[in-house]
Amino acid sequence: MEHSSTTARATDSGSERSGSPTPTTMKTCTTIALAVALAAPSFAGETLAIRVGRAETVSHGVVEHAVILVEDGKIAIVGEDLPVERGIPVLDRPEWTVVPGFVNCYSRLGCDSEGGDDNSPDVKAIDELWPKSPAYKEVVEHGVTTLSLYPAGNGISGQSVTIRPLGATAEEMVLKDGQYVKMVVRSDSPSKRRITDAFKKVAEYDEKVVKAREKFDKDKKGGSKKDEKADDKKSDEKKAFDPAAQEAKSDDKKDEKKDDGFVPPQPDEKLRPWLEMRVGAKRGLVAMSQASDWLHFQDALGKNELAYDLRLVLQRESDLYHVFEKKTNELDVDGIGDKKLRCVVEPTLTVAAGTLRTRNLPHELHRSGAKVVFIPRNDSLGDHQQWRSNVGEVVSAGLPADVALRAMTLEAAEVAGVADLVGSIEKGKHANLVFLTGAPFEASTKIAAVMLDGEFVHGEVYQ
Amino acid sequence: MDAATTTNDRHAGARMRAATAVACLVSLVACRSSATGGGGRASSGPLELGPGDSGQAIHCAKVLTLDAGDTIHAPATILVKNGKLAWIGPRRAAPAGYEECSADGLWASPGMVELHSHIHSGGFGDTNDMVLPVNGELRAMTALRPGNPLVRRAVAGGVTTLYGIPGSGTSMSGFGVIYKSKVEGGFEDVVLHEVGGLKVAQSYNPERNAGDLGRTRAGLAWILEDAADRAKALRAADAVDLANEDLAKVMERELPVLIHCAGSDGFAAAARMWQVKYGTRCVLSHGCFDAHATAPWIVATGAPINAGPRTVDYMTTRDGAITGTAAKYLAAGAKDLSLNTDSPVLPQEELFLQGAMSARYGADDYQMLRGCTIAPARVFGLDHRLGSLEAGKDADIVLSTGSPLDPRSRVERVYIDGALQYDRARDGQWF
Amino acid sequence: MKSFLRVPALLAVVAPAFVMFAAPARAQDPAPAEPKKEDGKKDDAKVEDKWVAVVGGDIHAGTGEVLKGATILGKNGKIHAIGYDLDIPKDAKVHDVSGLRVYPGLVAISSQGLLGNAMAEFDDTIDPFSTRMVLGLAAGITTTGVGGSAVKLKRFSVDGAVVNERAYTVMSWSGRNPRTKSELREKFADAARYIREQREWERKSKEEKDLPEPKKSGIDGGVLSVLRGETQAKFNASDRDDLLGIARLAQEYGFRPIIDGCQEGWTVADELGRAGARVVLTARDRRSKDEQQSAAGGTSIENAAILHKSGCMVAVTPPTEGVDLGGLEGRDIRMLTIEAGFAVRGGLPERAALEAITIVPARMMGISHRVGSLEVGKDFDLLVTDGDLLHYATYVQWAFVDGRMVYDKEKELYYAHIRPRPVAEKKLDAGETAESKPADEPKTEGDKKDGDKKDGEDDEQKKEGDKDDGEKKDGEKKDGEKKEDKPGEKQD
Repeated sequence: MEHSSTTARATDSGSERSGSPTPTTMKTCTTIALAVALAAPSFAGETLAIRVGRAETVSHGVVEHAVILVEDGKIAIVGEDLPVERGIPVLDRPEWTVVPGFVNCYSRLGCDSEGGDDNSPDVKAIDELWPKSPAYKEVVEHGVTTLSLYPAGNGISGQSVTIRPLGATAEEMVLKDGQYVKMVVRSDSPSKRRITDAFKKVAEYDEKVVKAREKFDKDKKGGSKKDEKADDKKSDEKKAFDPAAQEAKSDDKKDEKKDDGFVPPQPDEKLRPWLEMRVGAKRGLVAMSQASDWLHFQDALGKNELAYDLRLVLQRESDLYHVFEKKTNELDVDGIGDKKLRCVVEPTLTVAAGTLRTRNLPHELHRSGAKVVFIPRNDSLGDHQQWRSNVGEVVSAGLPADVALRAMTLEAAEVAGVADLVGSIEKGKHANLVFLTGAPFEASTKIAAVMLDGEFVHGEVYQ
Repeated sequence: MDAATTTNDRHAGARMRAATAVACLVSLVACRSSATGGGGRASSGPLELGPGDSGQAIHCAKVLTLDAGDTIHAPATILVKNGKLAWIGPRRAAPAGYEECSADGLWASPGMVELHSHIHSGGFGDTNDMVLPVNGELRAMTALRPGNPLVRRAVAGGVTTLYGIPGSGTSMSGFGVIYKSKVEGGFEDVVLHEVGGLKVAQSYNPERNAGDLGRTRAGLAWILEDAADRAKALRAADAVDLANEDLAKVMERELPVLIHCAGSDGFAAAARMWQVKYGTRCVLSHGCFDAHATAPWIVATGAPINAGPRTVDYMTTRDGAITGTAAKYLAAGAKDLSLNTDSPVLPQEELFLQGAMSARYGADDYQMLRGCTIAPARVFGLDHRLGSLEAGKDADIVLSTGSPLDPRSRVERVYIDGALQYDRARDGQWF
Repeated sequence: MKSFLRVPALLAVVAPAFVMFAAPARAQDPAPAEPKKEDGKKDDAKVEDKWVAVVGGDIHAGTGEVLKGATILGKNGKIHAIGYDLDIPKDAKVHDVSGLRVYPGLVAISSQGLLGNAMAEFDDTIDPFSTRMVLGLAAGITTTGVGGSAVKLKRFSVDGAVVNERAYTVMSWSGRNPRTKSELREKFADAARYIREQREWERKSKEEKDLPEPKKSGIDGGVLSVLRGETQAKFNASDRDDLLGIARLAQEYGFRPIIDGCQEGWTVADELGRAGARVVLTARDRRSKDEQQSAAGGTSIENAAILHKSGCMVAVTPPTEGVDLGGLEGRDIRMLTIEAGFAVRGGLPERAALEAITIVPARMMGISHRVGSLEVGKDFDLLVTDGDLLHYATYVQWAFVDGRMVYDKEKELYYAHIRPRPVAEKKLDAGETAESKPADEPKTEGDKKDGDKKDGEDDEQKKEGDKDDGEKKDGEKKDGEKKEDKPGEKQD
């Protein structure tokens, strides 16, 4: 009840102040207050305080009697039983539970091209993005406020793009481009070779860089006019470089001082993503479906560096559990859980081969130390609608509910590369919220409303 | 006239064949083949050979009699007189006149009895008529080719008596023939019972889209019960109906019926119909897939089980275990469990291997040997003359180099009705 | 000692010195030098040695010797020592198998599906978690030929499973397709000539530097490697005439053919023997003679015995080379020992039958220096069984590949319910399977498995009851006889 920094109050974007609000803000608040008093609620994009029974923030646990202040499309503050400053419209729904907007980090919703067995890490899903697809409008109704799209194909198919589902143009939708490179690994020579060949080319490139460096140093010692001209030329080329890649290379030991004018040779466009994945500027999303795939993948990787997450396709009689833990399965290499990898899985129960005994692989993954990320069972809109209830089945079979919620939100946002922007209810993040009529995974719970970037886009408060 | 007469007692041996043939022709009137009653054993009589008698003395290392006491003699002597077992016991000198047959180092066991076999035609098809769902008029004996190559090889696998039946393409496919696997001799020489028993298929195979009744279990069950009820009514009305005469005998337990049934539902349905409702002398044959789940109930009804050719189940019970069906039936208390090959689904000469495999998957070895010999004989009412080495029974003797169930043992000699049908040293090794 | 175990008569003649009872002497000396690490971990200088010991079993080494109650010690996946009173390092994994038997892992000359769906390039395609691999190990198979390569059923790992990439080269010779014969003859002639010319050239070019090298193009590479002894030639043939043709070709060009099928081999056994043929047979093959052929033909159960007597190397393969769980038991790849038993039925000596599924197929695939028998320096691939390996009711209790236990009968659902080992079984919860259970016994150093000791005792008693034909377990029914021998064993 005290007026302190925990009071929810309107602030200028980005700054935190105590003290009296500015005149402009006062005016806005009064206007809003009047609007509240007179008309049916219509909260569209302005400052709003929302009082709900319960907020499952994912980042900071559960907040009872939560009050969330939404301002300029972001979450300004969230806390328990915060008093709301007079003039800020309040949406009072004590019977609601609010969770972060769901993130589907692995989808081809709205895309329809087919892929082959290509080796095309330079292809980008953003080129396929068609904002007018009706699918995006509908998917927010099911609580999905962030989507990552990937290019189709069975080989190394290309790079993802993370979007908000609403926007008139691609620019309006894109949150992050090229977060991960999707690749499929199977127990066969071609898919292993794609990886070993890539690392071979990486090694060749490294050698090239070393040689270029040596030459550069040698030439520098000479200090002739020729070099100066060459330097100018090189600095022109420099501008054409992708700054991100340049940054990545600067981490490379071989490229010591940026300012001595050395410019490493341009890598091939197909090679560049591997260089980026090597240092974590991009990540791989490696899809596999069998336990043997993991071993073959590790075999192909060898001692090479790669930042990656996994997409584990859970088939009905999946044997992936054999490779969760090294110790219990007597593996020669670390298991998926031992490496604490993020694993994108569908929310489904499987059976032990040859039997009708169910296994809860998402739960086993979690227990082994891996980080579970959920996606809908399939990519249709119907599956997006069923997503929460399917996850509920896995929860009923033993997976802790908080792990399940995180798997649909913050952990997925990590894979999507936007964990700094969405995925949890905390100050500074986008106001992507799903309002539920009960606990997230109860069978009777329904979605009451969905907010995207501070605007209601679905539900009773949406017009 | 389709039903030729057979007499119950037969004498083996070349000299008797002609006499028997004459006797057959003489008694070729509408005298029905008498059913396989489970009567008492013929007395063995004195061991001494009189004029016109023939005898062999087989001295072997061990004899598995498979009698009620599971008696084993080692070393042993078997005395055969006029094609019948006269004496079995520990090694002794033979009375005068007996032909000495040394079987040093060999084991003697009864010839095996196969209750579910389709090789009587020698692999020339002729198994399923498949026009009418109920065909009690059909007789498998019409397709019998005695001593055909498939049967010959069976001898080298120790199988001496077979029940050759029509296939399972129709609900009631006809009556099978009980015959011996003699390598020489004509129809009369090998056949024990021309009309040995009925063959019924309760489910699976008859479920076809032939356009007639019987696509569903309900239809199949109706077909069978309708036929059975009519046959019963015949007897009650004291009417004559050639098509159903033998079926009426089945309803009165004068002839046995072998029912092809598999899957738990078919298995239970067969027991319910033929054992509980109609009280026939039935044998439930196959019992594979998940039928073993009904074992306790089936055993409680008293219906005997003839397991095979599948002896394990993995696909249907879906608990990850490879379940031996015979072991499960035994564990449920099945009495007189017998095994089959459903030849040619499995080669007839590998009947013993069914025993070995069943033992591998948990059944008691010895019970499985009984399951190839005395048990099938008993459930088909043939045990007064077949299935064990006891005085008075047919001299169907298999001499092998070791346990009859072990694939490594080979059959050295086989006697059927006291006559040497197979001698590896003389004939080469057929199997 | 168990009264029903009989040491085959051959043994007493061949190797009396090796049959030990109580003397604490060594049967084989340990390997003299450190075996090279084969997994290429050259950069890690300090990798701990992995020791494993299988103790107390009757070791049937496959070389003719049987060591009762002996120990086999493995180091880094290789057999380090076999014998009595061996020095077992403290950190070794010790398995007590008293009362049980130890055999070499079986070598299936040909199979399907035991490596998952892999059909070629096994280094990249092997599925070490395949359920069929488990079933293969349960049947005792530790190495198999498949797709021309020899590969181990190496569970849990994709490293080092391929033992010989190119175990054999398949060649065609068939009377039903006569062109194959002339083509092959031509290829052999060309290749032989090339080798001769090559040798000539090597000799002459020491003086005449400018002599052109004989051209290799057009020479069949497979045939060339056969003639050079780098790989084996494998034919699929069963007709008498084809077999004769292959035998003659082999004798002409001096190679020893592998002949798969060889159904009518018994009719031309002498020729095949002279050609040094290595035959792969299915004892139970049934085929009638071609009526047009006047000479003897068709199949014979005695095929293996006859060919063996004529000096051919005999390997055995079952009628179905894949896993078949449809219910008709006794004829698929899991029944390799049963098929060997049928070869015994046909007269093949038991020792040869055992070799037909161990050392002979290993020799055929050029891997006998690594597998096929238990000898110092070879791979630690072995089976622990609860009885005579060729007996129809014997089970593999444990299987080891490269020193690591890869199969435990009690831990897999397939056979655990059949005559289980008398260890208190943990009840499985829904969601768990036998595979997901943590190991019952702690894998600490030198820790003997609690269950194993009891296994030894109880297995003995169980064996009495299980394997005896014609005898009731309660022993009431014996009338005037004492069974000395197991029914499964042949009487001499």
